[in-house]
Amino acid sequence: MSGHVEDRAALYALGALSEIEAAAVNAHARGCLPCLRALGAAEREVALAASLQPRREAPSALETRIDDLLAPPARVWWPSAPAWRPQAFALAAALLLGLLPAAYFWDRSRAMQSAVVAQNAAMQRMIAAPHRMASFDGMPGNAAATVAYGRTGSWYVIVIKGARRAMRVAWMHDGEQTMLGEAVPHGDVAMLYLPKSHRMDRLALMDGDRVVARASLRYD
Amino acid sequence: MADPGGHEALAIAFAARERWAFATAYRRYSALLYSAAYNVLGNAEEAQDCVHDAIAKLWRARKPFDARRGSLRAFLMVCVRNAAISRLRRHANRRRLTERLAALPVEHGELESDDPIERDRVRGALARLPAEQRTPLELAFYEGKTHTEIAAELATPLGTIKSRISHGLRRLAAALAPDEVRSAER
Repeated sequence: MSGHVEDRAALYALGALSEIEAAAVNAHARGCLPCLRALGAAEREVALAASLQPRREAPSALETRIDDLLAPPARVWWPSAPAWRPQAFALAAALLLGLLPAAYFWDRSRAMQSAVVAQNAAMQRMIAAPHRMASFDGMPGNAAATVAYGRTGSWYVIVIKGARRAMRVAWMHDGEQTMLGEAVPHGDVAMLYLPKSHRMDRLALMDGDRVVARASLRYD
Repeated sequence: MADPGGHEALAIAFAARERWAFATAYRRYSALLYSAAYNVLGNAEEAQDCVHDAIAKLWRARKPFDARRGSLRAFLMVCVRNAAISRLRRHANRRRLTERLAALPVEHGELESDDPIERDRVRGALARLPAEQRTPLELAFYEGKTHTEIAAELATPLGTIKSRISHGLRRLAAALAPDEVRSAER
């Protein structure tokens, strides 16, 4: 367990930490009673101030949505995808190195293009550097997804082939999901680049609120 | 045995992911949670999505809450408020947040506040804090800035900012404490 987080309790409760920092604080507090209580105390302080701000009744539509959320689910899961094949790794790498720029340039303005060029150059540099790849299990239909990532967890690139619509990418940890971003399709390919400074060992792809595929990442 | 309808029983059942506890907690605190999101986002639809997503995230969590943490109400409010701030950051709408919160009494004229005087209690209590504590606290509370942004903006070491925010928040809560007793809500 890492160091105590009592000194960050107020920052957490005020929302003054990044999502990743907040998740780390929460994760630590789960196993550390003094820090858990410090978080609880800070939460009460912030809630006290926040509760004195203007108040309005929640719409009834929201209650309906919450009821739906909590109702016993009649879940329909995507059918399992066939096992990930080695050639798909090559496909993903090819996409990163060659096809993605074309997909990106296709409908971008010049301003966007320069950003994409820079991002693409950064990705090519990263792909040329030592990295690992992992597949997402459970992708629906013919879709396939993989993640390339730095060996130290300093960057992640998620590529989804056959994506029909945007999918959210989440970090799964301690029974929680931290949203990292959205992979938006351009043509047949969706991609999300995540510069990070820590190791994430489980990622999930989500369609709305539903997890449809998971990947396990390994580090040295 | 805790009162089945009481805060303690609710917190324990919520921690155990019981449906009734989630439903009861939402109904009991819906106005607070929705208002917390609305006051940050300033948009009814976004606020609804935010509350829904925050509750959904907890509902999916293996251990959504630990009753030893303290107040379920405060925990939920902070969860929703933090989710709203994150949402706003993601949409890069910080300028809108600043403008909206700066103009709070006017822009939220349609809101049903219990007492207009109460609206100013937070600002009044903040105003009585030393500037070195007040400024970083305002930047965090009203503008949704991160501690690193605040440290950069105020050209002050991160550790100092953390400490000033912690002390300022404690003093702010102490100044507002009578309201907590009156609200009689944990």
